[in-house]
Amino acid sequence: MSIFTDIYNTVAKFFRQSDEPVIGEASKAVAANRLKLVLMQDRTNLTPKVLEQMRGEMIDLLSKYLEMDKDMLELNFEQEGDQVALMLSIPVIRAKDEEEIEAAIAKEDTDITESNSEEDSDEDNEEEIVDLEEEIEEDVVDEESTKSKKRSSKKVSAPEELQGNHENVENMEEQSCELETQQEVVCENQES
Amino acid sequence: MTGRVIVITSGKGGVGKTTTSANIGTALAKEGYKVVLIDTDLGLRNLDLLLGLENRIVYTIVDVIEERCKLKQALVKDKKNPNLQLLAAAQTRDKSAVSAEQLKEICEKLKETNDFVLVDCPAGIEQGFQNAVAGASEAIVVTTPEMSAIRDADRIIGLLGPKEEITSVKLLLNRVRPNLIKTNEMMSVDDVAEILEIPLVGIIPEDTGIITSTNKGDPIVNNEEALAGKAYRNVAQRILGEEVPFLDLDEPKGFVEKIKNVFAKLKAKV
Repeated sequence: MSIFTDIYNTVAKFFRQSDEPVIGEASKAVAANRLKLVLMQDRTNLTPKVLEQMRGEMIDLLSKYLEMDKDMLELNFEQEGDQVALMLSIPVIRAKDEEEIEAAIAKEDTDITESNSEEDSDEDNEEEIVDLEEEIEEDVVDEESTKSKKRSSKKVSAPEELQGNHENVENMEEQSCELETQQEVVCENQES
Repeated sequence: MTGRVIVITSGKGGVGKTTTSANIGTALAKEGYKVVLIDTDLGLRNLDLLLGLENRIVYTIVDVIEERCKLKQALVKDKKNPNLQLLAAAQTRDKSAVSAEQLKEICEKLKETNDFVLVDCPAGIEQGFQNAVAGASEAIVVTTPEMSAIRDADRIIGLLGPKEEITSVKLLLNRVRPNLIKTNEMMSVDDVAEILEIPLVGIIPEDTGIITSTNKGDPIVNNEEALAGKAYRNVAQRILGEEVPFLDLDEPKGFVEKIKNVFAKLKAKV
């Protein structure tokens, strides 16, 4: 009998379609996506140095309003379909109160000439910020959280959900609140 | 006569610039056009090997530039086809022995008496690259469907873009492996063309025949049977302005494969 099964298997194998996508399916897509990102950076001269500068400026800006864990800040490019998005993820410790914000703004006004000259440095970046959406999600009150000490006496009164993004719900148990700033970046390739 | 000067470049090394130069040059010469191949890879010359002319080289491009010989004396005729000539690189000198201006001058002279001047560019984006592209009005960027090669090709395309003298930049995708593309393990021709955003001039399948043809010093276009040879002959046709469809690399070659294909299609319908 085994001879017959052998023959059957051989015949079946012979006629089997050899081009069925198997394990490697992801590898091509991964390569294409990684390439698109890296080429976007190559083409726009968006060097790590520039990214670091952007990171620093964003921290300065957001520090006026929020107290956050600066070391945990992440700035990444992500591919979503045809668009490349700049994802900024910062764990927020607490929102500052009005007095603090006013103080920070007042301080900035005195430094304005200094910061202006810095901002004027042309970086030749071709992106255009199309959309800036901030999403502040109020933490579910979590009495047992170890981080409760860090939490402000004033509760953040933030819009519940500006965007239907629920990805961070899980993380919220660890962080008192999570802010996700998302800047959609349209990349225009300088030459085609 | 005013010939066309085409530079064959890639950024990354080892993707098949020299093989491509040798094959396109040979194919154009077979069509009856007068062709000069210039090897600009000073210090790392190889084009002579692929054409089997390594023993015939007396003078090199550096000898021409330093006026030890006339340009005509340095041109080595191909064994099989007198329409094809090689201007070899100097093996003992480095890229600084030649300037962009000098290379441009050589190209200008050669295109007066030839239909095609093909410049085989060295890898990299430094002086050697700048020299090689100096006299060219067209460019063929060679890449393979691998990330590093594509990234380097993109860089080259970016560098060629602002050069006003270069009016045409086309893509030649080399070492394509249809079986890997089928299983989605390799980026397809469309993927690469879409990423690099320049028109295709050729798709060359991976072919073990390239190794044997290099061993013999006989470009694969001279082998009528080889698929890569056919693909290169098609590239030459496209350079000449013919509209030649790209090879369908998925096409089953033998009788057995055809039967398999029929059954596969039946199975798909069921």
